[in-house]
Amino acid sequence: MINDPLSVITLAPLAVGLALLILPKILSSAEGLARASRAISMGVALAMLAITTMIFLGEIGSIDWTDYGSGYSLTNESFLLIPSIGVSWTVGIDALSFPMVWLTTLLIPVSMLVEWDAKRGHLFHPLILIMEGALIGVFVSLDMFVFYVFWELTLVPMFFLIMVWGGDDRRYASMKFFIYTFTASVVMLIGILVMYLYTPDVAGSGTITGHTFDLGVMVSSASSIPSEGLRHLVWILLLIGFATKMPSVPVHTWLPDAHVQAPTAGSMLLAGVMLKMGAYGFLRIAVTALPESTMVFIPLLLFLGMVSLVYGAWVCMGQTNLKRMVAYSSVSHMGLIFLGIATMQPLGIAGALFMMFAHGIISPLLFAVAGAFKHHYHTLEIGSMRGIAHHSPWLAGHMMLGWMASLGLPLLAGFVAEVTVLIAFWMSFGWLVLLPALTLIITAVYYLTSMQRTIFESNDPHQGILPDSLHGEDPSDITWHENAGMLILGALTALFGILPFIFWDMMSDWSSGFMIDVLVQAMESEGVNP
Amino acid sequence: MISLGQLNLDSETAFTLLPELVMLIGVLAIILIPNLGNATFRMPLTNFRVPILIGGSRFETTNDPRMPNRIATATFAIAFASSLLMIDSTSEEVGGLLRSDAFSRLFSAMFIGALLLVSVATTHRIPAKKNARVPEDGDSEVTTSRKMAALIDNRRQVDFHILLIMVGLGMSLMAMSTNLFMLVVCIELASLSTYVLVAFHKEEDVGGEAGAKYFIVGSAASAVGIYGMSLLYLWSGDLSLDALAEKWGQMQGMDPFAAFGIGLMMVAFGFKVSAAPFHLAAPDAYSGASSPVSGLLATASKAMGFVALIRVLVMITVPDFGEETTWFLMLAIISVVTMSWGNLAALTSENPKRMLAYSSVAHAGYMLAAISVVGSGLAGEEGTRIILIAITFHLAVLVLFKLGAFLVLSLLETEGRGHRMQDLHGLGKREPLIAGSMFLFMLSLAGVPPLSGFLSKLLMVNGIVSSSAGTGSSSTTDVYSWMESVDPIFWLAAAIVANSALSLFYYLRLSLVMFFEESDKSSRLKSAPSLRMAIMACAVLTVLCGIGPVSEWLVSLVTTSIESLMG
Repeated sequence: MINDPLSVITLAPLAVGLALLILPKILSSAEGLARASRAISMGVALAMLAITTMIFLGEIGSIDWTDYGSGYSLTNESFLLIPSIGVSWTVGIDALSFPMVWLTTLLIPVSMLVEWDAKRGHLFHPLILIMEGALIGVFVSLDMFVFYVFWELTLVPMFFLIMVWGGDDRRYASMKFFIYTFTASVVMLIGILVMYLYTPDVAGSGTITGHTFDLGVMVSSASSIPSEGLRHLVWILLLIGFATKMPSVPVHTWLPDAHVQAPTAGSMLLAGVMLKMGAYGFLRIAVTALPESTMVFIPLLLFLGMVSLVYGAWVCMGQTNLKRMVAYSSVSHMGLIFLGIATMQPLGIAGALFMMFAHGIISPLLFAVAGAFKHHYHTLEIGSMRGIAHHSPWLAGHMMLGWMASLGLPLLAGFVAEVTVLIAFWMSFGWLVLLPALTLIITAVYYLTSMQRTIFESNDPHQGILPDSLHGEDPSDITWHENAGMLILGALTALFGILPFIFWDMMSDWSSGFMIDVLVQAMESEGVNP
Repeated sequence: MISLGQLNLDSETAFTLLPELVMLIGVLAIILIPNLGNATFRMPLTNFRVPILIGGSRFETTNDPRMPNRIATATFAIAFASSLLMIDSTSEEVGGLLRSDAFSRLFSAMFIGALLLVSVATTHRIPAKKNARVPEDGDSEVTTSRKMAALIDNRRQVDFHILLIMVGLGMSLMAMSTNLFMLVVCIELASLSTYVLVAFHKEEDVGGEAGAKYFIVGSAASAVGIYGMSLLYLWSGDLSLDALAEKWGQMQGMDPFAAFGIGLMMVAFGFKVSAAPFHLAAPDAYSGASSPVSGLLATASKAMGFVALIRVLVMITVPDFGEETTWFLMLAIISVVTMSWGNLAALTSENPKRMLAYSSVAHAGYMLAAISVVGSGLAGEEGTRIILIAITFHLAVLVLFKLGAFLVLSLLETEGRGHRMQDLHGLGKREPLIAGSMFLFMLSLAGVPPLSGFLSKLLMVNGIVSSSAGTGSSSTTDVYSWMESVDPIFWLAAAIVANSALSLFYYLRLSLVMFFEESDKSSRLKSAPSLRMAIMACAVLTVLCGIGPVSEWLVSLVTTSIESLMG
């Protein structure tokens, strides 16, 4: 177990979650298990957080994250799953995946905490645990087949979270979510298969096919795909899969629906980690394997990123639904990640990575706030309720912190990411930087207006306006566990805003190393000996 | 030519033919056992009575209408286990007409395994009621008809199960045939039994219509095939497959008799695998037959057609795997038409059984595409081996998820439904486990990793692409000129991938209605424990055969069998 902590943090949540779901169904004597399942799930989630934190501190694997070179750490001994086609169980982390793994293990217990009193908790919490295993599996697996399986597996618990615990329109939302992301993944699978069919016969290759799904081999042999045109095609196929997950305009329309209908914990995980899978996969596979195609398609990335950024922010201004607004702001921020990658500068990519991380803390906070709002005021309409600061000072405080962080206030996590991406953007594209910079103003506009219309602005300074949905009853204040969850996220937002170098060092190390690799490869293909 | 006199049934031969003998004994047992009674014969002039068993009033156990089903299930179980154990590298000739080797035994295990599932499912589809009574005078009309239906079902038990075993016997012997004549006779034995099975519910309109249609088209196809066989006999004077292959290899140019003979035989086999344009009877037959029988047609019967195609097309007419054959282009076009037609028709089907029938047409298209690559001359011996492994593996796992899907429909049919999309509505709420299994079957049919349907499709696409690898210029910069430079067979792989993506829509649609649409019924379905167990077993094996040690074991079995075929 000590030798292979990554397999443990992937498989243990899956196994425990499945056991908690199935055992009470088939064993009548296991009814006590159903009652304890909430506590067991939380215990397992906390144990996983402890393991990843120990990896971070160097207690496990003794990795020096402040000076991280290239290559994978904590890799296991490959175990062949399907020898005939070359699929193996191989896991490992590096500075690109580790922040995401840690973020996942952090968000899982926090989202469980926020929805501690969820209906049918004996099913809810194990499902979130299964979600954890699937998400970590995506980030740690170094085999494309296993990566893809985990990628699809994340859909299942999320689908059920929306379908069972979602809002009134959950059926439409979960179906749209499933069909959009599933179809896009199949397109991505075609790209992966083309890469697979051009891998060389190495140790561990399929006994029948002679190809391998090993990530490293697939990435390094992608340049041997015949014809530049075919490589571009593969890159586009991969982009379709990853961009839909991120999501980028024009394939973003599933996200607002899914977010509005999903339960709070579902929204938190969706925005916090699932969207990052797209950016992670894009960097890990598409950009790393086919850097030349990436160079060729920089204008496309620039366009997609810019449109997502501006369009997302612009649409936000017209939203009256709190969750929908936050969802569109996610689209906007994901656009910034594309822009960071498009700069092809170490700084820009590191900024994009930090954006993934910062957004992974801030957007769950925003969704936790929106969820608590819905829970206690039974509405998500901005403007139907004014003067929250009177009723729920804590909720108002979290709301304000979250929105400030999201619009990029200095000393909060979002600022670091935005500023680095913009600097890199300026270095690459010059005055074009005005467009994303101006968008930040739009962001400020919609957040500040909403803030004014919900937290403050009531005619009576001692009494806010209550929404109709309460039918004249007084709203209850937020519960201790909602408050605790939001406090943790708020504190981390501030922590990573003030001390960004905690994760920044490894991210910039990774992007510098990555850019050097890309440059060497580009020079080799030009015939220059580096 | 055919000398049955060589067939001496000694103990060694009996062991070689063990699965077939078991089935033969099973047929006799089904005929005899229900007729056993307490009849006696009084010795003349004495009062001594000798029990002669046949006749009289039947014993309690032999009178049990569930008896034939039990005998058939036990027969299939023993025959299945013995064929599975016989898959090894040894090869035994029997009477100059049959050869028992890993290839034939793998397929007989496949056929008998499918029949085993069918006979388990039938317990609930054509239920035998122990306490069925003759209607009395005072009974109402409804009671009378219900009692009559129960009596009829009891009477039909023997017929149905004898037919099932005859299908198994025909298919199993067919897989072993080394002589074209024997092959065709065995196919006919199996086919004639399936015609009756399709029309078995003759009191329902669709049953009779389906049976008649299937019989007429099927016998026309057989007639064409037998005409082709007679042309081949005119040409070579010997119908043993080895002799035909040898003669084909020595042929200078193309003999019109040989070409027409092979071409006409392809029509017969094309009907069996339901390749376009001979597939038109299939959707009607599938939707008219009871679901287990439809499942049998979609899996075992299709596998039988592919054995024939492999034996005749690949093993006779492919000269050392190095030259392009005459049928390559035709089969390639047929395969693309078949898969596209199947998928497009399935997209618009409102009847789940028709949808599965069209999906089975599409799957035939994928496998035909792979076979046509063998004929392209680019595959080489290694490529041919990979492609045959892929096809055989696909046929084997198809028994799990295709038949499994039909078994789910057959569970629905115990309510007298299952032929409209609405019948699946709300299944996710009523029967979460059954709906979950159906979802797995659909995903596997669509080829989603890590299920077995993905593994088989990947092997197939890999076989095709690796045959076309090396073609296609690597110096081209834009994708169009590369597309022009690559060998056309690459497009067969692209067609499979594109069609699989297309098929995802109707498979997902069928899955999603189970979870999203509300049903007016909320009760659970009939308990049917053995049928449920069969469905669960199919679902578990669908996953296990896709990933992990079980899939590896199956792949190694298939590899052994293909090696024994190619020598």
